[in-house]
Amino acid sequence: MSRVLWLASLRHLSRHAWQVALATLGIALGVAVVVSIDLANDSARRAFALAGETVAGRATHQVVGGPSGLPDDLYRHLRLDLGVRPSAPVVEADLAAPDYPGRTFHLLGIDPFAEGDFRPYFTGNATAPAPIDSQGRGDMAPAPIDSQGRGDMAPAPIDSQGRGDMAPAPIDSQGRGDMAQGDLLALLTSPGAVLLSAETAAELGLKPGDTLTLRVGSQRRQAVLAGTLLPSDELSRRALADLAVADISTAQELLGQVGRLSRIDLLVPEGPAGEATLARVRAALPPEASVLPAAARTQILEQMTRAFDLNLSALSLLALLVGMFLIYNTMTFSVVQRRALIGTLRAVGVSRREVFALVLSEAALLGLVGTALGLPLGILLARGMVRLVSQTINDLYFTVAVRDLAIAPLTLGKGAFLGLGATLLAGLPPAWEATTAPPRAVLSRSHLEAGARRAAPRLALGGLVALALGLGLLLLPSQELLPSFAALLAIVIGCALLTPMAVVGLLALLRPALGRVWGVLGRLAARGVVAALSRTAVAIAALTVAVSVTVGVGVMVDSFRATVVSWLETALQADVYVSAPGLVSNRPDQTLDPALVARLSSAPGVAVANTYRRATVTSPEGPVELIALRLQTGPDGLPDLRGNLYRFKEGNPRTVWRAFTSEGAAIVSEPYAYRHHLTVGSRLRLQTDRGEREFPVAGVFYDYGSDQGVVMLSRSTYDQLWDDRGVSSLGIYAAAGVQVGDLVSSLRALAGDSDVLIRSNRALRAASLEVFDRTFAITGVLRLLATLVAFVGVLSALLALQLERARELGVLRASGLTPRQLWGLVSAQTGLMGLAAGLLSLPVGLALAAVLIFVINRRSFGWTLQMAVAPEVLGQALLLAVAAALLAGVYPAWKMARTSPAAALREE
Amino acid sequence: MLTDGDSRRPLVVLRGLGKSYREAERERSVLRDVNATIGRGELAVVLGRSGSGKSTLLNLISGIDLPTSGEVMVDGICLTGLSEQARTRFRRRHIGFVFQFYNLIPTLTVEENLLLPLELNGRRDKGRALALLAEVGLADRAASFPDRLSGGEQQRVAVARALVHDPLLVLADEPTGNLDAETGGQVLALLDRLSRAAGKTLVMVTHSVEAAGLADRVFSVQGGHLVERAPLLEDS
Ligand SMILES: Nc1ncnc2c1ncn2[C@@H]1O[C@H](COP(=O)(O)OP(=O)(O)O)[C@@H](O)[C@H]1O
Ligand SMILES: [Mg+2]
Repeated sequence: MSRVLWLASLRHLSRHAWQVALATLGIALGVAVVVSIDLANDSARRAFALAGETVAGRATHQVVGGPSGLPDDLYRHLRLDLGVRPSAPVVEADLAAPDYPGRTFHLLGIDPFAEGDFRPYFTGNATAPAPIDSQGRGDMAPAPIDSQGRGDMAPAPIDSQGRGDMAPAPIDSQGRGDMAQGDLLALLTSPGAVLLSAETAAELGLKPGDTLTLRVGSQRRQAVLAGTLLPSDELSRRALADLAVADISTAQELLGQVGRLSRIDLLVPEGPAGEATLARVRAALPPEASVLPAAARTQILEQMTRAFDLNLSALSLLALLVGMFLIYNTMTFSVVQRRALIGTLRAVGVSRREVFALVLSEAALLGLVGTALGLPLGILLARGMVRLVSQTINDLYFTVAVRDLAIAPLTLGKGAFLGLGATLLAGLPPAWEATTAPPRAVLSRSHLEAGARRAAPRLALGGLVALALGLGLLLLPSQELLPSFAALLAIVIGCALLTPMAVVGLLALLRPALGRVWGVLGRLAARGVVAALSRTAVAIAALTVAVSVTVGVGVMVDSFRATVVSWLETALQADVYVSAPGLVSNRPDQTLDPALVARLSSAPGVAVANTYRRATVTSPEGPVELIALRLQTGPDGLPDLRGNLYRFKEGNPRTVWRAFTSEGAAIVSEPYAYRHHLTVGSRLRLQTDRGEREFPVAGVFYDYGSDQGVVMLSRSTYDQLWDDRGVSSLGIYAAAGVQVGDLVSSLRALAGDSDVLIRSNRALRAASLEVFDRTFAITGVLRLLATLVAFVGVLSALLALQLERARELGVLRASGLTPRQLWGLVSAQTGLMGLAAGLLSLPVGLALAAVLIFVINRRSFGWTLQMAVAPEVLGQALLLAVAAALLAGVYPAWKMARTSPAAALREE
Repeated sequence: MLTDGDSRRPLVVLRGLGKSYREAERERSVLRDVNATIGRGELAVVLGRSGSGKSTLLNLISGIDLPTSGEVMVDGICLTGLSEQARTRFRRRHIGFVFQFYNLIPTLTVEENLLLPLELNGRRDKGRALALLAEVGLADRAASFPDRLSGGEQQRVAVARALVHDPLLVLADEPTGNLDAETGGQVLALLDRLSRAAGKTLVMVTHSVEAAGLADRVFSVQGGHLVERAPLLEDS
């Protein structure tokens, strides 16, 4: 293309620098929001995967058991009797360190002599996997230290049989080790000895010999820093940051699980030999145990957060969509401004194709600059987002410590692609419009606007088609989320296309009233909006989309909250709740000390103490959250519920409870039933400590505690089939005449210095709602950002509009309109635009809310929500739209009022 | 024509008027030491080459723009000493404009364009607007939007708009500059008839000899100075 053409184009852009700057800012913000959410999700995912790999190491398979783990004997049997090697026992748990609030450690108990190559970062060999020889022992040479070193050690319980025949482990030999020789000795011999990474120890100010208090359930245990691990590279540095490594027997003692293992790691070669080994292992397993591929755990847990991730991503894309409006607006405007110029160019012989390319290149330039700004901005924003995202994951799903923001090139690439793609897409219609400028014809603005008004019905028709498409997609019977989000997008776009028509209609309604009150000026304000429809409609549509997203998400969150509040009221019936503090969240992921449970249950003033155990068990479909519930039964053999502890979606409460308590039936939460297609009368299978068992489903209850869903069994059923005797929490009913406050105090006194949370019903409800609100904090941030982008859009459109009308406003000033009146006129116009956007966003927002509540939430999480529309939300939306528009009008109004009419009237 | 003592006082007095624009680092002087008086009811025509400063002069007289030096008195009031707000109010009440490019408000109907100056003066006198429209021969176009009108029709509306609120002074900047000779002649005749009939003072920038022929006073801007010439001979 001609250099001069480019020059003309660049000059045009630089003459409208503010307009270009706002459009660029809009696209930058849109890209930043998308990138930041993606980076935050990705960082959480990576941190989780890394933590998983750190503890899984190179194991190809893992033998796992039920909630109470596996017996030591199994390991000895596999290793000694069956000769399954390499194999390594593991005892592990996530523990909080009360002295360092918010900090959790993954306690990893290992047998240094069996470790071999499983977790290579202990041996500074993180990158190159050791070749495995025929015996599976790898290239390790026996380490010299141990043959002597072991002699004077007190034998660990597992040791006498388990380790006797092993070659001492290679750690430390030949410079591979990062542990000093003394550290290993200390690890094996001193009680409570753990190793931390050198960096973590330094960060916490711990030196070898110092104690580190860890919270195990409701008790505190002292660990002793025996030494430090020096990670050999960046990856192990991050992997080790939250790890506390202990000898296996130390870990068993710390966790109060002497004789039990969390799992057994296997390193099985691929091929027939490996298959044979696995078959041998399977044959030898007790009923509660199963062999799983090592990757399964990470995969399954990632699966859990899929819907959560997807919802956030979809929301972030809305910000980009609003950004697209901005680019479209700017490009359309710049084409309109240059219509005469483009006509002249065409007359001089510039081809349509060249005009098209010129305009599209300009859009690409804006997109390029906007994206280039958006990426670093996104990284900056992601630092805040990652905190919100990981907090939510901790609250809802599993423990993950996201320390670093992982800046994935792929994510940045995706952001760049989206930013540029969105810009080019938004630039297409104006580029096409530019080619339609007839040579030399100077089309008047009014012709153009008349065209825009004529186009309004056609656009509205397109909008209706998009809406119909969206509704059609929603009606597709599917649990898939993507069609639902596509439907949501179609609805948003449909509504945006309906905007011009709606604006024309709305202002036709408003105009007579405005005329009556403010005369010609009032009519002028109303007509100005319609007369410049090609510009105002885009601004109004952008604002409508942003505000309706605010309304939709706001109503959804409100409805969700109202549903949760009423659910909490029925679900939390006991007067006092006792639980071990969660690791970093409200999830009851810890167990209470059994002695304490007994003491509190029989305390004076306690009428009834129901126990509650939440554990993860395996099933053919993956891990299942199981709740074992002990309910005190009344004289009729039914649980003494004192009200409605659970509301059933399916099943008659009397029959459900009877089947639950005396027939070993399961009841499942609504999301679980939804995910696994269960109804009353279906059967579900779980892996118990006595082997796989089948349970009839007696009822489906409403529950908003877990989107994965839970299965509930009576405690007696649980105790028959599982060896775990742990209790996660207690629900205590006060005896008649006992004040709840007094009961809480006396229970606290009884609990002494154990780490337990003893909370009144009201406090627990408040805590639960706090988690709820925290979960939606990120949603609030996204809403705000989308509104910000829309605000930039309105500002840009108004600036353009007012400057274009400079002449007209100059005439008004010459006719005697004071600057203040001009200000009023401009503000009335922008206020009208805001009002139009606000009014339009109400129905659109409610429609979005309905889709979010009844389709997206249901398909994502499987729960039924009651739609609750608070009038304030609607009022706020209206206010937001008008305020944003008025605010955006301040600068243009000020500028126009300040401009000398003489300058405005000067002929071009 | 001149009946009482008050009306004997000239309507427009320009004293030592100068206007210069800053361009980059340089001052560029457009008008220098302009002195003139224009009496009530007079039709003054300002001639001059394009870019000589005619529009600038009109802007100074109307108070849209402020001079670099000197003063402008209109109806005994020193505009150059007034605040922006006061100048605007003065203009709203006492001045009417006709521009070369009509400059009607595109989003108002013809009638509403006429109502605008009335309403700005607190009068919502539909009758007056319609009567004036009839005088310019466009009564049937009251409800049309300006872009439906031809150039000549638009300029006739502009003339009506300049007079509708009964101003003391009408300023017209090349009102026929954008029209063909015949249409221009019609507009000119209209302007002359309506302003003279109402006893208005009219200051008109023009290139048209025909217009100059109607004038009581003829000025031209040359080299930044305002020079009065002898009026062309009139037949009437
Ligand atoms: N705002 C301004 N800034 C700089 N120069 C100006 C400005 N307005 C007018 N001029 C200059 O003043 C001179 C007179 O302009 P103008 O009064 O519009 O001339 P005309 O006699 O054609 O109406 C021109 O040279 C013009 O370039
Ligand atoms: Mg001029």
